[in-house]
Amino acid sequence: MKSPSCLRQTHDSDSSKRYFHHGSNHSGNMDRVLDAPPGSTVLLLGNEAIARGALEAGVAVATTYPGTPASEIGDALARIAKAAGIYFEYSTNEMVATEMAIGASTSGVRSLVSMKHVGVNVAADALLTFAYTGTRGGFVLITADDPSCHSSQNEQDNRYYALLGSIPLLEPSSPQECYEMTKEGFALSEKLELPVIVRTTTRVSHVRGPVKVGKIVQGQKKSEFVKDPKRFVTVPAVAKTRHLVLLQQLGKAEMLADESPMNFVLKVGGGSKEGVITSSAAFNYVMDASSELGLSLDVLKLGFSSPLPRNKVAEFLRGHEAVLIVEELEPVLETEVRAVAQHNSIRTRILGKEDKLLPRAHEFDQAIVGSALSKAFGAKSKKSEPARAAPEDLPARPPVLCTGCPHSATYFAVNKATGRNAIFASDIGCYTLGVSPPYNTADLLVCMGSSVGTAGGLAKVNSQPVVAFIGDSTFYHAGIPALVNAVHNGHKFLLMILDNRTTAMTGHQPHPGSSSGPTCCDITAVELEGLVRGCGVKWLRVVDPYDIKTTTETVKEALRQEGVSVIIARRECALIAKRDKEGAILKKHFIDQEACHKCKTCVDRFQCPAISSANKVQTIDDALCAGCGVCAQVCPWKAIKEVK
Amino acid sequence: MTTDIYLVGVGGQGIITASGIIGDAALFAGKKVLLSETHGMAQRGGSVVCTARIGDFHSPLIPNGRADVILSFELLETLRGLCAASKRTTVIASTERIVPLSVSAQKLRYPTLDEVKIAVERTAGEFHSVDAPALARQAGVPMSSNIVMVGALFGTGLSGIDESSFRKAIGANVPRKAEENAKAFSMGAEAVRKRRAS
Repeated sequence: MKSPSCLRQTHDSDSSKRYFHHGSNHSGNMDRVLDAPPGSTVLLLGNEAIARGALEAGVAVATTYPGTPASEIGDALARIAKAAGIYFEYSTNEMVATEMAIGASTSGVRSLVSMKHVGVNVAADALLTFAYTGTRGGFVLITADDPSCHSSQNEQDNRYYALLGSIPLLEPSSPQECYEMTKEGFALSEKLELPVIVRTTTRVSHVRGPVKVGKIVQGQKKSEFVKDPKRFVTVPAVAKTRHLVLLQQLGKAEMLADESPMNFVLKVGGGSKEGVITSSAAFNYVMDASSELGLSLDVLKLGFSSPLPRNKVAEFLRGHEAVLIVEELEPVLETEVRAVAQHNSIRTRILGKEDKLLPRAHEFDQAIVGSALSKAFGAKSKKSEPARAAPEDLPARPPVLCTGCPHSATYFAVNKATGRNAIFASDIGCYTLGVSPPYNTADLLVCMGSSVGTAGGLAKVNSQPVVAFIGDSTFYHAGIPALVNAVHNGHKFLLMILDNRTTAMTGHQPHPGSSSGPTCCDITAVELEGLVRGCGVKWLRVVDPYDIKTTTETVKEALRQEGVSVIIARRECALIAKRDKEGAILKKHFIDQEACHKCKTCVDRFQCPAISSANKVQTIDDALCAGCGVCAQVCPWKAIKEVK
Repeated sequence: MTTDIYLVGVGGQGIITASGIIGDAALFAGKKVLLSETHGMAQRGGSVVCTARIGDFHSPLIPNGRADVILSFELLETLRGLCAASKRTTVIASTERIVPLSVSAQKLRYPTLDEVKIAVERTAGEFHSVDAPALARQAGVPMSSNIVMVGALFGTGLSGIDESSFRKAIGANVPRKAEENAKAFSMGAEAVRKRRAS
């Protein structure tokens, strides 16, 4: 079978020039993203392949705000930025990251910005108008979508941003294509003077596969900004004319898409009068399922999928009697393909989500696509193994807060202080796990920073006290305008900033409160207390959540205040403390069974992966115990003691 | 020849590293390979699945019942992994037990090794249990249960990957304590070979 790779770089399995080193760059080790020699084939994560593609395109400025499934793009670049001689930063949020890249691009320097799908909502204000001014240096925005919400609050389909903003969009299916399309994206962006979006999904970003790499080049790093306010200052008169330019460029983009080798036809099993139009991860399932079912099909694989290469699609439709559109999530291609058929009076039968052959929610797999192919083309589906569900009584293992997690202590104290009689506005981070028993400290969550904004609305119309929880990184990201709003408009609630000194959930990236971290340049910590006071907050306390008594009393006092009160619960993430040698000063604990009253407070109202209960006896697993000592304060009988 | 390997366990057990080693080893052996990985929130002590497909595939996801090998890093997760099993599936399970909080919270029972064995034999084929933590300790690298499990995979002979490719891949992915990790790999392989011979 032909390689699906858009630039026809085959996975040369006989290559003798193999590169084989570990991903991390500690102690002078080589790094496979940076050091893989040109022409070698190396196993890369889709996200790492994007980083490599950007380096080979001569990217000079790269920015991001971490978010699964996009985080490893920034992590790879953070690790190697210095050695690669590029500027990289973890920006405060996705909009700032995008604006940083826009500043560089409009100066003629190639820039990359990466984020998860919902990050584009934050960046959209900048992005959609940047399409009007257009680029000078190539500008590529990576959006990593998350069908099936593996680690996200929704599964929005960001291909709509391409349509909404008239922005060209590329959709890789494999790590090899991630690499190639990122690289190609920069060239395309400069050719069209438009931003380019590269859209992956979890099953593209988090796939590791062979990538044949090329040569890293040093791009232009410094520039002299050439003023052109009639292009770059989008006052109404300029915006109005620039929109016409954008539409003109979009027309050129469509011509390029029609000719692009990223859009190609594969003949599977000898080809036939039946065809499939597909993109992204869905392409992979089409290939595997049709090979399993022994189908003969023509597959139009769209890598440069927006603007739709309408001539190529029309030609494909004319050559086939029936065409199935296979795409995850929204019927973006399907709607457009039907329009092409209507416009050209093509009578080909077009099948897809409209015909209920494929679902509009959640990610696909080989079985879903195989079944759709069978139904569409009347092939006999092979008897596949029945989906075997795990036995129902298997103990569930959802993600939980770690041993020694300071958030656990905070939640216990807040529940104690409020008697659980409060409404909890939560936010995005590890601490969202407080939604589960025994804490139940999340009642409302929509997006980054929403705890602070929604708390105002909740407090305005409810009589119960309102407590908002937000992580440190999330507060810097999107909590500040909402806090200013709350002070300004006199809302009454308690905001708890859960300050664990890092962006823990996505892999411990630094944030604006950090003074060090993996990055290319010096960073300065922006102190949280000053920031909160600067927002106009009059009542601010800082507590150590490991001190349950003080935290509980402080929460009680905060709830008696008029207006907004803020508590910073500060304690380093337990996973980092564990790595840190100073963590060793903490003491392991055990349960003195003679003193234990079997009240189960330590497991019913507190949660620690090290404490379990079996046959009415509670014990602490010494190997797991992080030594935080919070459980000793939780126990009403003082039965939890330090190991001497 | 193709081999589909379904790796299951608990976040923090080094499963991504193990699948990375298998991926590199396959590449060194001149094979096509695709891996899928679990990142993000699920890693906070949750159930984790990685897949490794060796052969001419486009998607790294293994269809239901299609795994050739289930490599389980935790005893209970072996049962959850059986969704990928059929009668031709070989199951290699570490006897390591990480009891989830739901066991005490909901008064559920953690299965015994015998119960796991019976369940595996009902739905899958061959079953091997490996005391990976003990072997890792014996090798002098208590944190390298995952390397023992990679060794056990090699021991079944089902991966189609030669020994030197595996060893090279371990060196590339786990540069520290090279000698001890090499030993952990050998002990894992030996544990399965012995069982197969008996």
